Amino acid sequence: MTQPATAPPAAKRSALPSLSTLGPLIALLLACIFFATQSDRFLTATTLSLVLKQISFVAVIAIGQTLVILTSGIDLSCGVIMALGSVVMTKFAVELGMPPLLAILCGLIITTAIGALNGVLITRLRLPPFIATLGMYGIIFAATQIYSNAQTVTNLPPALNFLGQTFNILGTPFTFGAVLMLLFGLAWFFLTQTAPGRHVYAVGNNPEAVRLSGIPTTRLLISVYAVAGLLYGIAALILVGRVGAGDPNAGQTENLESITAVVLGGTSLFGGRGNVLGTFLGALIVGVFRVGLTLSGVNSVYQILITGVLIILAVATDQFSRRKA
Amino acid sequence: MTLQSTPDQTSSRSSAPLVMEARGLVKRYGQVTAINGADFELRPGEILAVIGDNGAGKSSMIKALSGAVVPDEGQIFLDGQLVSFRSPIDARRQGIETVYQDLAVAPAMTIAENLFLGREILKAGPIAKLLRIVDKKKMHEEAVRHMQGLQFAIKSMSQPVETLSGGQRQGVAVARSAAFARHVVIMDEPTAALGVREGNMVLDLIRKVRDGGLPVILISHNMPHVFEIADRIHVHRMGQRAALLNPKKISMADTVSVMTGALKPEQLSADMLAH
Ligand SMILES: Nc1ncnc2c1ncn2[C@@H]1O[C@H](COP(=O)(O)OP(=O)(O)O)[C@@H](O)[C@H]1O
Ligand SMILES: [Mg+2]
Repeated sequence: MTQPATAPPAAKRSALPSLSTLGPLIALLLACIFFATQSDRFLTATTLSLVLKQISFVAVIAIGQTLVILTSGIDLSCGVIMALGSVVMTKFAVELGMPPLLAILCGLIITTAIGALNGVLITRLRLPPFIATLGMYGIIFAATQIYSNAQTVTNLPPALNFLGQTFNILGTPFTFGAVLMLLFGLAWFFLTQTAPGRHVYAVGNNPEAVRLSGIPTTRLLISVYAVAGLLYGIAALILVGRVGAGDPNAGQTENLESITAVVLGGTSLFGGRGNVLGTFLGALIVGVFRVGLTLSGVNSVYQILITGVLIILAVATDQFSRRKA
Repeated sequence: MTLQSTPDQTSSRSSAPLVMEARGLVKRYGQVTAINGADFELRPGEILAVIGDNGAGKSSMIKALSGAVVPDEGQIFLDGQLVSFRSPIDARRQGIETVYQDLAVAPAMTIAENLFLGREILKAGPIAKLLRIVDKKKMHEEAVRHMQGLQFAIKSMSQPVETLSGGQRQGVAVARSAAFARHVVIMDEPTAALGVREGNMVLDLIRKVRDGGLPVILISHNMPHVFEIADRIHVHRMGQRAALLNPKKISMADTVSVMTGALKPEQLSADMLAH
């Protein structure tokens, strides 16, 4: 052995992370160009506002889903937790006569607690995340139906709707765009700049290494699922603001869509790699397809089909790039 | 049980207090008894080699000593004090650093982040401390400083560990333990994946650590390495300590015979045994 093993050239390596965010960006641009050729109404500020509206709560759910997937977990209960949150907030305000803010707080506490329970099932009972959250999906869905008698909760006090109120930027009504940016910014800051955020990546990389480093992995994982639950609660608040009701039947497509957004954004389903800003791009892609296909007059069944194709493409790309590495 | 109750040490060196001692450690995994009443002792400033066949229970024993595994039975003493490590962080707080055999690294994270995993350097200021904001620049600089002694041809501390060769990864793990240890360094087969040159660099580092006053526990399969560097050899067999040997007096061939059970420690002359 005459030559020490040399590291691969630095330039190649530093190009990698930017490539992983470039992928979804290019996909997003291509989708926009395609839909612009299909409909003159596509490239307008109204459409942008519509896309943001369409993805609003999926994007917030996808932040939680990103945290969970980074730990190499998965959360199939996200949509129904949001539905329960919306029912709790509205019922507490309408039927128990709670002040809206208190009702919202109760809703957030409950979704956070359910998220934490997911974490407990995964860490303490050592259930695979897929099974734990699939079980919780059934339980929470049924509980929401029973509690609400499968009825939407209407006649809300205006304060519950505040995230549905629009505010004008450049003459175009934006609603929760700002809230969305804030949440993504916070998640990005947490994941890249703080020690616990780095531990989220580390536990997805090698949980045993994290344990041997003396980081309390159980507490870390329970916290991640609890924060995800809190984000589903915030998504519920946006949902209530948008539809003006508590909806026990909401959240049915959000599992697949949030996972699609995360994966399209370049986060690996195997955990430990990816970033939450990519998830924002992923959610935008999902929204652009939804709005674009609608504007082009495509049947909604094809939208589901295309979502399926997108998720398979994204995971295949991830698998392929990992095999090469 | 205390340190005084081990009168079986007759050597003149036994007057020096032991840094680490374990008595009657037991650890069972279902049907498998990985540690079967193992004794262990480590003197100040020595390099103690631990050798034994695959599956003899070496890794399990050092995991008990480093808090990664909680033994079912037995006691561990540190400087004569009974300790009970519930987690690796307990041992680390006592200044015990370990390089695990199955290298505990996070592959997609940078070298600097791996060096400081679980003890990140935080930015100054109360808000940064509260939010636990990491000081990446400082960690990067410190990483460069710690890795300086090792010529592992690593270009940048901000490259992911997965871009390193097996030897370079081992270098990172070894540097981490050497940098943070204040009491004891434990290395489980740190030269296993290394070429000759890299292996020698790790041996140099181990000597440096010892010369700096810290005792080192070195688990190794590499007999030439063991004989080159060890002050004493702990032979582990079937979950127990089978013998303590003196590498200055015993041959490599006899050592291997003791390890495989072909030679009983009673059959050795007294000077071949270490005390
Ligand atoms: N976590 C574990 N679960 C089950 N069995 C284990 C575990 N760790 C070690 N063992 C078993 O204990 C025995 C000793 O293993 P180990 O301590 O790794 O030996 P060595 O390091 O000497 O090769 C082996 O039979 C191994 O299979
Ligand atoms: Mg071993």
